[in-house]
Amino acid sequence: MNTAKRAAQLLSSHNVTSLFDSVEAFLFDCDGVIWKGDKLIDGVSQTLEMLRSKGKKLVFVTNNSTKSRRQYAKKFNSLGISVREDEIFSSSFAAAMYLKVNNFPREKGGEGILEELQLAGYTGLGGPEDGEKRAEWKSNSLFEHDKSVGAVVVGLDPHINYYKLQYGTLCIRENPGCLFIATNRDAVGHMTDLQEWPGAGCMVAAMCGSTEREPIVVGKPSTFMMDFLLQKFQVSTSKMCMVGDRLDTDILFGKNAGCKTLLVLSGVTNQSTLEDPSSTIQPDYYTSNISDCLHLLGP
Amino acid sequence: MLGRTVVAYSFVSVPAVFPTIPKFLGLKRLSFNSFSIANAKWNWNFKLYNRKSSTALRKETRASAQPLKNADELIYSVETFIFDCDGVIWKGDKLIDGVPQTLDMLRSRGKRLVFVTNNSTKSRKQYGKKFETLGLNVTEEEIFASSFAAAAYLKSINFPKEKKVYVIGEDGILKELELAGFQYLGGPEDGGKKIELKPGFLMEHDKDVGAVVVGFDRYFNYYKVQYGTLCVRENPGCLFIATNRDAVTHLTDAQEWAGGGSMVGAIAGSSQREPLVVGKPSTFMMDYLANKFGILKSQICMVGDRLDTDILFGQNGGCKTLLVLSGVTTLSMLQDPSNSIQPDFYTNKISDFLSLKAATA
Repeated sequence: MNTAKRAAQLLSSHNVTSLFDSVEAFLFDCDGVIWKGDKLIDGVSQTLEMLRSKGKKLVFVTNNSTKSRRQYAKKFNSLGISVREDEIFSSSFAAAMYLKVNNFPREKGGEGILEELQLAGYTGLGGPEDGEKRAEWKSNSLFEHDKSVGAVVVGLDPHINYYKLQYGTLCIRENPGCLFIATNRDAVGHMTDLQEWPGAGCMVAAMCGSTEREPIVVGKPSTFMMDFLLQKFQVSTSKMCMVGDRLDTDILFGKNAGCKTLLVLSGVTNQSTLEDPSSTIQPDYYTSNISDCLHLLGP
Repeated sequence: MLGRTVVAYSFVSVPAVFPTIPKFLGLKRLSFNSFSIANAKWNWNFKLYNRKSSTALRKETRASAQPLKNADELIYSVETFIFDCDGVIWKGDKLIDGVPQTLDMLRSRGKRLVFVTNNSTKSRKQYGKKFETLGLNVTEEEIFASSFAAAAYLKSINFPKEKKVYVIGEDGILKELELAGFQYLGGPEDGGKKIELKPGFLMEHDKDVGAVVVGFDRYFNYYKVQYGTLCVRENPGCLFIATNRDAVTHLTDAQEWAGGGSMVGAIAGSSQREPLVVGKPSTFMMDYLANKFGILKSQICMVGDRLDTDILFGQNGGCKTLLVLSGVTTLSMLQDPSNSIQPDFYTNKISDFLSLKAATA
């Protein structure tokens, strides 16, 4: 990995053409780049249309595990953007794929993860309905757990509660060889348009705290999803550009994989964070939001 | 798959500033405003945030633990015994065999007894009641729970009375804060609050919260995580205090349960900050009681069932240490090559003081 710190260049009419000519596929993060919560960011539809018209491949790579790819495609369509399911790589999908490539029999998950697991042919336990379960702690009462659980998949879960923490902890600590998989470790994210909310990083850290184990991370910045992308798009990583709003997931993912990287300031990162001396992750380029591409390149 | 090894995960070694290890040594006269916490960014290398960081506090490699044979010698050599509770005195709500007689014997020999527990669900007063119910003669003043430690810590730094404390934890913490004269928000009743992530929804939080105290919490939920995270991230100078970071705990005698380390981990994960830990193995409570009772730490023996909290606590404090196998640690765990924490002595349970004593009499 390139450890020399080269400052990010502001995207301008001077460099935009060379960037776009050298890139065949654009990888977009979603939260903070395409939308914020359920609100589309200005100019996104037109920008994506322009890119498609210029023959660029579009891929959407999100760490948000609350929806499956199918559910994401629905969200895009409801916002007026035409995207196919197979152009979307969510961390929920990544978790299911990880298990598939490692041939696992059973596991537990949450939210969009469950649907992806089902689609991949796995049985999932847990998920949102466990949000209503309560643990009981009386003398001689035992909290039971399924001994055949072979993996615990942890992602963003707004229904987190003690029951789930305990169930997952018991599986990981007591079922021999049980895997501990994290969809991602983002600390916070824009779950609504108005403010940031705790992300999967919170739930994963809770499980680390009780299991004393580190998880296998399948989402950004891990490059696990890249292998699926490469297989699907047949484009070398040097001809890809990762566009995201977060340095320690999106940009790091791009750099780890050997892609060009473009940071947008429409999400969680602002200019002062980027320019702060303690920030060691520098994208190749940065700009306010993706519609700047439209304005710089012209229709 | 694709004919090559998939790297399932990659942690890039970002040369970030490592968060300062949460040590607490001594009651320094610090005012609230002069107290600064390193705003450490989350370190993708993830080595420091688990218990391993606490072994950095140990000063030297120690010889292997010795089985306790001459109880008399140990008893004679110290003035005070500090006992952990869960796994040493009781398991859940069941007293461990021989405990009352052992405590009586030690008292009859003029030893001071202190009880230090990381369990923050009860206040000292509530623990006093638990001891009484189990037929043990222990006063409130002899009990130091991590709930008390949190309040005592805030007192020690002159935390302003006009500031508030947001609590992610149970009743014990609330009671101790009240006794110490601090205003608090949160606690068990926030366990009933629900979140709906809808467009236009904004969670407000009290800008006067100057500290978030996190401990074991069976009513843990997303509302609390967000509230605590907002305070820590957005209220200038807001402290992040953990009562303890125990991974698992014996809530019932039958099995282990996810412990305070889980809730603290959650807030550390979303706030990207490391907490100040007031419970074991931090020596805050040790310094507090040594100061309070005027005892030398070399005159103390710490008795506990957990290596990375009780024994480390004793070692960090410069005390003698005795591990009992009546709780979470087994002999094989103690003797496992990967274990680097060695108490001075180990024995099955504290009533061995009576039986071993008899043997050498």
